Amino acid sequence: MPCPAARGAGGQTHAKESCMTDHSHPSSKAVATVATDRTFWGRLAAWGPYHTLMRLATASPRRQFLILAAFPVLWVLTQHLGPMLQMLRVSLLDAYPVAPGVEQHFTLDNYARFFGDSIFWMPFFRTLAFAAVFTFCTLIITYPVAYFLARHVSRKNQMLFLLLLLIPFWVGEIVRTYAIMILLGNTGAVNLVLKWVGLIDRPIPFMYTSFSMGVGIVYLTALYMLLPLYSALEKLPQSMNEAAADLGAGAWTRFWRVSLPLTIEGISSGCTLVFLISTGFYATPVLLGGPSTTVFAETIAGFFHVAGDEWPTGAAFATIMFMAALVITATFQKLMNALRKGESK
Amino acid sequence: MNDRPELFRGNRIFLSCIYWAFVLYVFVPLILMILMGFKDSKFIGFPIRSWTLDWYKGVFDNTEVLSTFGYSIAIAVLSTLISVIVGTWIAVLLEGRKFLGRSVMFGMTVLPALVPGIISAIAFRIYARYLGIEPGMGAIVWAHAVHNVPFVVLVVMARLSTLPKSQIEAARDLGADPLVSFIRITLPYLVPAILGASIFCLLLSFDDFVRSFFLGGYEPTLPVLIFAKLRSGMSPEINAIATVALILTAAIGIWAERFTRRMNKES
Repeated sequence: MPCPAARGAGGQTHAKESCMTDHSHPSSKAVATVATDRTFWGRLAAWGPYHTLMRLATASPRRQFLILAAFPVLWVLTQHLGPMLQMLRVSLLDAYPVAPGVEQHFTLDNYARFFGDSIFWMPFFRTLAFAAVFTFCTLIITYPVAYFLARHVSRKNQMLFLLLLLIPFWVGEIVRTYAIMILLGNTGAVNLVLKWVGLIDRPIPFMYTSFSMGVGIVYLTALYMLLPLYSALEKLPQSMNEAAADLGAGAWTRFWRVSLPLTIEGISSGCTLVFLISTGFYATPVLLGGPSTTVFAETIAGFFHVAGDEWPTGAAFATIMFMAALVITATFQKLMNALRKGESK
Repeated sequence: MNDRPELFRGNRIFLSCIYWAFVLYVFVPLILMILMGFKDSKFIGFPIRSWTLDWYKGVFDNTEVLSTFGYSIAIAVLSTLISVIVGTWIAVLLEGRKFLGRSVMFGMTVLPALVPGIISAIAFRIYARYLGIEPGMGAIVWAHAVHNVPFVVLVVMARLSTLPKSQIEAARDLGADPLVSFIRITLPYLVPAILGASIFCLLLSFDDFVRSFFLGGYEPTLPVLIFAKLRSGMSPEINAIATVALILTAAIGIWAERFTRRMNKES
């Protein structure tokens, strides 16, 4: 029941008083105390126009749901899916951005270009190989760390030990890449230490190789491996390891037959995450890599630096990269799932 | 937590060595980078023989660098505001009643977080052109906002799943409409998650390079500025800038960690 008097901010309380007196309360004195006791939300809910609006909006569960869902669905379609679809569309065009008066045609030439020149597909396969190797290195390095955190640190200290590792990961990609440059440079810390110990006379050129790139990328992605592994290991009951030990299994067997199979889920999600992230690095290979380690991200970026009409080719290459990364990670996850099911049988 | 320490002692010592080695690996590069910012020489490299604070003075005297800090922070704040509102809305939808296509919706929601960096940047660049957004602050804010939405959704959904349904029902029984019960019951319950997600988004945006690089105009964000300076040669000046950025992000991170943990304990 909309109250005609209930308009304007100033006279609100007063208006509602009279409004309510008409309908529900016999004594106007009691109403006065109720009205002033009401919170802002109570007053809002009783305010006529708002009340009508809400009743309209929530008339049926279906309508209420549509109002809740409309914006998220629209956002996800236009903002999350849109960029990918537009990239796919541009990758199939013969010219973009198009000059006025020129007709656009759909073509597969941009994709054909990829296979035509080794300068294009070499970086592509190199990127996939690097990403796979770096992901594996990250796994090997972080697994014992996650294992230690989850199994050998008291619960009270776990957050502290974990937090210690999290701090450096709040620092950005570029700053951490630069830190690796300082570490590995010809006058860097590693070379200084090696020289000081007497192992080398002349500095080892670590920089601008696949090694320096690997150190950098493992450094950047370690956390994304560590956290899934940690949460998988944390769920693993200690009693399983003890049972295995009681049955005579050594440390290695316990790890190989108990911990590893039961944390496959964590390994699989960590590896997927790290693989996807490492294929997407652009600045790190530019800064830490050399001419012999050009990755596909640099190839793709090249098409967007020049002002010419190379966008469709760049879009096509990005699509190839994305599809390849998706297919590889999906296959990997399938494989890991099969492995897990096989182990539990 | 270990009932039978004698069984695992050997492991334990071995693993703790690995852990501390990893801590070193994670910290040493950053510490070296910070130290280099105090070197009294134009050349990056060890050993450091004499020390100076001039590089830091230079950072705070340089209006270009300072305005870059401001620019990056403004972008981070604006994009976080958008991400948090949109992300919370999506989370409420996904965590609510079941509906047809919910898993598809969820898949599309997390998509931007799974697209590798360079591809995401390229896709945003092309889409910005399509929407008519000029490269510059608006484009970066938009790209960061879209990219960060999935993280907000995941964090808020996790918190939302632990909200006692009885509270909402009680509010509804007492006459609150869905909007009021959301604002008075759900939202206060979500505050720790929303704050945590906001800090995470702020840091993601502040640290992001690849999207800012491809969507930026003439004015660089902080990572883009450091990248540009690095390409023209290393200098302790870069160390000083990077260190200030590092201290800023680490301080926000540590503060947020403590803050959200305290809030989680209270509720």
